[in-house]
Amino acid sequence: MEKQNNKGSEIKNKKINAIKIKNLNFSYSSIYPNINSNLKEKNNIYSNNIYQRNIYQENIYDYLSKDSSNEYKTIKKSCYITKNILKKDQFLSKNVLKNINLEIETGSFISILGPNGCGKSTLINIISKVLKNYSGYIEIFGRDLNKINPKDTAKLIAVVPQYTNAEFNFTVEEMVLMGRYPYISRFGSETNKDYEKAINAMNLTKTLKLKDKKYNELSGGEKQRVIIAQALAQETPIILLDEPTSHLDINFQIEIMNLFLKLNKNENRTIVGVFHDINLAANYSEKVLFLKDGSIFTYGDIESTITKENIKNVFDTDIYIGRNPFTGKIYISPAFFKTYYEEKDQLVEKNASINKLKKIHIICGGGAASPVLNLLKDLGYIISCGVVNYFDTDLDTAKNLKIPYISEAPFSPISLEAQNKNIKLIKESDIVIFPPIVIGNGNFSNLVSIKEAVEMGKKVIIINGSTDFKKRDYTKGKATKIYQKILKKSLNKNTNLFIINDLHDLIEVLEKMKSNWGGSNGL
Amino acid sequence: MNENSLKKKNISKYLVFLILILIVLIIISASLGSAKVSVKNTSIIIASYIPVINKLIDLTKINPLDEKIIIKIRLPRIFLSIFIGIALACAGVIYQAIFRNPLADPFIIGVSAGASFGATIGLVFITTVKLISLSAASIFAFAGAVGVTFIVYNISKIKNKISVVTLLLAGVALSSLINSINSFIIIFKTQDMAKVIFWLMGGLTSASWQQFLLITPIIIIILVFCSFFMKDLNIISLSDERASQLGVETEKVKLILLVLASIIAASAVAVSGIIGFVGLITPHIMRLIVGPDNKILFPTSALAGGIVMLFSDTIARTLLQPREIPVGIITSIIGVPFFIYLLLKSKRIVY
Repeated sequence: MEKQNNKGSEIKNKKINAIKIKNLNFSYSSIYPNINSNLKEKNNIYSNNIYQRNIYQENIYDYLSKDSSNEYKTIKKSCYITKNILKKDQFLSKNVLKNINLEIETGSFISILGPNGCGKSTLINIISKVLKNYSGYIEIFGRDLNKINPKDTAKLIAVVPQYTNAEFNFTVEEMVLMGRYPYISRFGSETNKDYEKAINAMNLTKTLKLKDKKYNELSGGEKQRVIIAQALAQETPIILLDEPTSHLDINFQIEIMNLFLKLNKNENRTIVGVFHDINLAANYSEKVLFLKDGSIFTYGDIESTITKENIKNVFDTDIYIGRNPFTGKIYISPAFFKTYYEEKDQLVEKNASINKLKKIHIICGGGAASPVLNLLKDLGYIISCGVVNYFDTDLDTAKNLKIPYISEAPFSPISLEAQNKNIKLIKESDIVIFPPIVIGNGNFSNLVSIKEAVEMGKKVIIINGSTDFKKRDYTKGKATKIYQKILKKSLNKNTNLFIINDLHDLIEVLEKMKSNWGGSNGL
Repeated sequence: MNENSLKKKNISKYLVFLILILIVLIIISASLGSAKVSVKNTSIIIASYIPVINKLIDLTKINPLDEKIIIKIRLPRIFLSIFIGIALACAGVIYQAIFRNPLADPFIIGVSAGASFGATIGLVFITTVKLISLSAASIFAFAGAVGVTFIVYNISKIKNKISVVTLLLAGVALSSLINSINSFIIIFKTQDMAKVIFWLMGGLTSASWQQFLLITPIIIIILVFCSFFMKDLNIISLSDERASQLGVETEKVKLILLVLASIIAASAVAVSGIIGFVGLITPHIMRLIVGPDNKILFPTSALAGGIVMLFSDTIARTLLQPREIPVGIITSIIGVPFFIYLLLKSKRIVY
């Protein structure tokens, strides 16, 4: 009796992984025209329809007999047999997945990210037993996936694919009830329980009112929700998502993702999703898996995994990383200014040495300076910034980009000490930039610093953005007066003040300045 | 029942309706022919052969010759045609769902080509073989149909997976090859040409109770077995991938159903010759009425196939009596306009 109890608690304490993948390899051995979604990821060789055979890899394992805790212990004999069927065709075969080792904890929410053709959907297809001729070993809740029969697999793992049209026009009700297939015996038909579960799934996805409509006559978003209802009717502890929200409008996108999050948090269901949208993944999942060319590039939590470097490596594209001001989650944005100017042949590397000649100081506040910081850092300028309060988005950006900054305690007005430090930095700089920040009594001295910069004869660039300065003035006109004084001063004195609209203008102004300072080493 | 509950489907109303039509059609068809028997007398004669009811029937006023004509000549042909219709329509339902193609029919993967090749051999070279009541042509037609389907199936099987596109292409390619060989044989044996062509046009002139008893058990057993796979078939008709995700043993079910559908189509063709369009149009008509759910479509199409086939065969043997028109011609004359209508309609939607 005692022994049994011990055993019970042991199983409870030990967290069994929902999915465990060891040494998974997969390559196309032939072309099946009916597996369209996999062929989506074909490269040019495949579209030429070259029939190819490839290397068979057989991975041999010995399985010890199943012990009472319903787990299989495996001993890997690490014996790979590689048979070359047709040697010359070898180079045509595409290794879609290479040596995947992965453990997904029960109750976690994982996103799989990677460029098109990296094997994301293939991985989903292998875990859901659509593709079978892989080598390697997959465990679902400690059980060998190969030894779970198809119906039981469908009771453990549901897949939500992107919707497709059905050749035959089933009703929504019929479509959702198909999700109950694994629970209905060959000779039986749907019981009341099956109808209940189907209704429940339709309620969750708001498709119940569509139940008598024909599936093919629905809109794309409705079809996708029906497919989700079909998968939810399976009532599985693991749900695999294959870009399920790509076709949905923003309201349903959020609703559906919140639904999956709820299933994850309240019912401890494990959710593994393939997403295109990195921000969506960052908002909802706990961990991210980056796949690149069929191998795991990196796997870890959101904060440490979604980084500029990783995304540059995996997707070969430049992004800025910030934080979503509403959720506090990591938020990425494409660095389109940088890429745009790279295309215009003003390459960062080429200009970097010239850019480093001059120092730029940027006034911060309320997140308005972040785009400027990101852009100038990327273009290789030497920059500093101030004065910014703690908990301000701009401070996070400065910290992320490792830009020197002058800071002030959270939610308090700028002290004289901070302002003096700021003015000292301005003195050391050649150019001062004033982004479209909101001026209140707290950061009023930032505007004063700009006035001093103009008086010092520094080149000052004021970015006005789309809003009028008056609307950004929360000091009852005090700031507007100063602002107008700055404008007046510049009028009689010189052309050192530039008033511009956006980042494009900023780059152009800087480029113009550069042509003056390039050779002569002076302004 | 409130608006938010799902209703269990009621299939019996369709079945009762179709069975009633079938019974009426059987009686009318049995009364028609060169020897005139009234509908009333026909009903009495048929009823006298039904257990329980026969005790209430008085046969004294009936001409024994009429009884013989109806029971020995007309009824076997009627029931045989019904079961051939059932077999072809059910095979059509299965093929259309597996190929996800509403234009698929039992002959698309080589059943008809194989049967006609076998029949040609049986009619031209080996005429002496006979099995119970089946002629050499029938036996070889069955063998040819199953054989060609097997070859087509093996061509399109790649590593235990059946590629639908390859299957259709291989069926079409092999069919045209075999038809060429057929024509080649016929030009050297012109004396048998009429026999072969008449067989190919299809007909039930040689129908007998023996033939009926030989093929109907096969058809019934196979169809009852197949009917347990209709849930799977529904899901397979979405896509192979989705079927696997929902727990269907896709490849196994596809294999079982393809083989069984080919066997029943081959059995039907072996006794009747090539009868086109029944397997194609019946599932379509029924899909318009009962929807695409194969659990309902399968039994209703079976009955509807029987009705279509019996109707066509009745016209075939009575329209120009005492001359007989091959039933394949009648089904095509009814079927082709409908087929073209479907093509025009579906062109606007999908193809």
